[in-house]
Amino acid sequence: MSEPLLVLDNVAKNYGAIEALKGISFSIGKGEVVALLGDNGAGKSTLVKIIAGGLEPTSGRMLFEGKEFLAKSPAEAKAAGIETVYQDLSLCTNVDVVANFFMGREITRKVLGIPVLDERAMEQVVQRALASAGTRIPSLRTNVEHLSGGQRQAIELNRFVHFGGKLVLLDEPFAALGVEQTRRGLDMIRQVASQGIGVVIITHIMQQAFQVADRIVVIRQGVVAGDVARNKTSPDAVINMITGETLAGAGPAN
Amino acid sequence: MNPRTRQTLEFILDNLVWFMLVFVLVVFSILIPNYFQLGIFANIIEASSVLGVMSIGLALVIIAGHMDLSVESVAALSAMAVGILFCSSGIGLGIQLQPQWLMVPVSLLIALAVGGLIGVINGYLVVKVKMSAFIITLASYIWVRGLVLVISGGRSAQDLAPAIRWFAIQRLGGLPLTAWIAIACFIVFSLIMAKTPFGRHLVMIGGNETATFRAGIRVNRNLVIAFVLAGAIAGLAGWLLAIRTSGATANLGVGLLFNAFAAVVIGGVSLKGGVGTLPGVYAGVLLLSAINTAINLMGLPANFTQVIHGLLVLAAVLLDAFKQTIRQRLA
Repeated sequence: MSEPLLVLDNVAKNYGAIEALKGISFSIGKGEVVALLGDNGAGKSTLVKIIAGGLEPTSGRMLFEGKEFLAKSPAEAKAAGIETVYQDLSLCTNVDVVANFFMGREITRKVLGIPVLDERAMEQVVQRALASAGTRIPSLRTNVEHLSGGQRQAIELNRFVHFGGKLVLLDEPFAALGVEQTRRGLDMIRQVASQGIGVVIITHIMQQAFQVADRIVVIRQGVVAGDVARNKTSPDAVINMITGETLAGAGPAN
Repeated sequence: MNPRTRQTLEFILDNLVWFMLVFVLVVFSILIPNYFQLGIFANIIEASSVLGVMSIGLALVIIAGHMDLSVESVAALSAMAVGILFCSSGIGLGIQLQPQWLMVPVSLLIALAVGGLIGVINGYLVVKVKMSAFIITLASYIWVRGLVLVISGGRSAQDLAPAIRWFAIQRLGGLPLTAWIAIACFIVFSLIMAKTPFGRHLVMIGGNETATFRAGIRVNRNLVIAFVLAGAIAGLAGWLLAIRTSGATANLGVGLLFNAFAAVVIGGVSLKGGVGTLPGVYAGVLLLSAINTAINLMGLPANFTQVIHGLLVLAAVLLDAFKQTIRQRLA
């Protein structure tokens, strides 16, 4: 395994008396694609939110690039180089494609010392990013509310590909995509990983996990129920881990 | 539909309230004798300056997806603070500063600070205590007006220092300086909203607060700034109000809030947040003012104004829904 980028050490999250995560430990290497699988309510999304700074863990610690890491806000996680694509779309439908693409990191130029949005520069970047990903959106100046679900998801996916960072978290990114777009999305993930960026992808679709992941981590009832290299397991074995029929391959893979 | 027609239609929809303003002005000019004069138009702009400034602050907060009902009371408190300090009769203390012009920046700063302070309180409670802005600012609307009554004892201050009054008297291009201040505010804040990251972030927060938070935008900080700006702008409106009436009374500006709301809604700002522009709001303010002037000129009882404003707000909301359907067809 390559040098670990993010190490989770016994990360737990309680909501009152309910233990959403009982203690999750696994690691993600640079350029590695980890598929995070688990049944509904297993705690996958909670885990992603903790890494992305949207939630604080109750206990446990994380190491990011070998250093103690805890993002108190998504802004901090982003500053550290962690990009997230959430399950429910994180777009502002009341503004246009360009504004959404650059949400929170607009290109500006100084006019009399005041930062002013550089719309032309941003539009060019978006045009290039979308074109290279083969996404077709009629006008970059239309408000996102007028776009289809697939187009919206394409904006989010292209956003993370463009901005990169060091670690990308994808929470069911292909839910609204068609077959061809999904294939392209999976290609994007491989391409991003080949640049040395770590990728965590949550998915329900076994086929996708096996297509794209290097390693498969299964979470069940708030603990890691399996952590195996893709080429050492099979979809059936993974399904068993998800449903809890076997605990084969439990614990961290070495 | 070809892109050109689409663009034209979008442009008309985006600026609908300006077309309405022009339409109303043309109709009034034709139908009402003596309406078509430069003096009348200057008067429309002049009469809308206080309401216009107040509407800017309200619009900022509403665009960011929240609400500020306190702007009217805040303006009254600022006006009363300026009145008590710089008026020479009534409850005014008649403070004199040398040189005289120094009273202008000092009174302005006091008005802005009073407004900003209440904005901080509103913003803090909304963001940190996570209470509904509607309730918080409703409370402020009541207690700030109460504070005005307390500090004035229900009495009024008259005869504002001439150095400050100068802004209402001195004219430039047929308009008093107070009107120019309102226009300048609209230009500055329109630019802020349309051209700076801060303005863009406010619009996006109004559209989807969760998304902006996840994208790393400091939502709380931006919202507090929006509330402080709304308060400070309301303070400026109060300063203008004090200048215009040459003092302050305990019930100064009562009812302005509803006019400001009407102007904001007519101007195309959605109460759901995330939609609307400040030039539109200015058109809304001018539209209300143009109608008031028409009512005055026709000699109708002033009480009609309120009925018409109410109907206008209804029309604006219906129009907004209609615009939405057209836009959906366009997409």
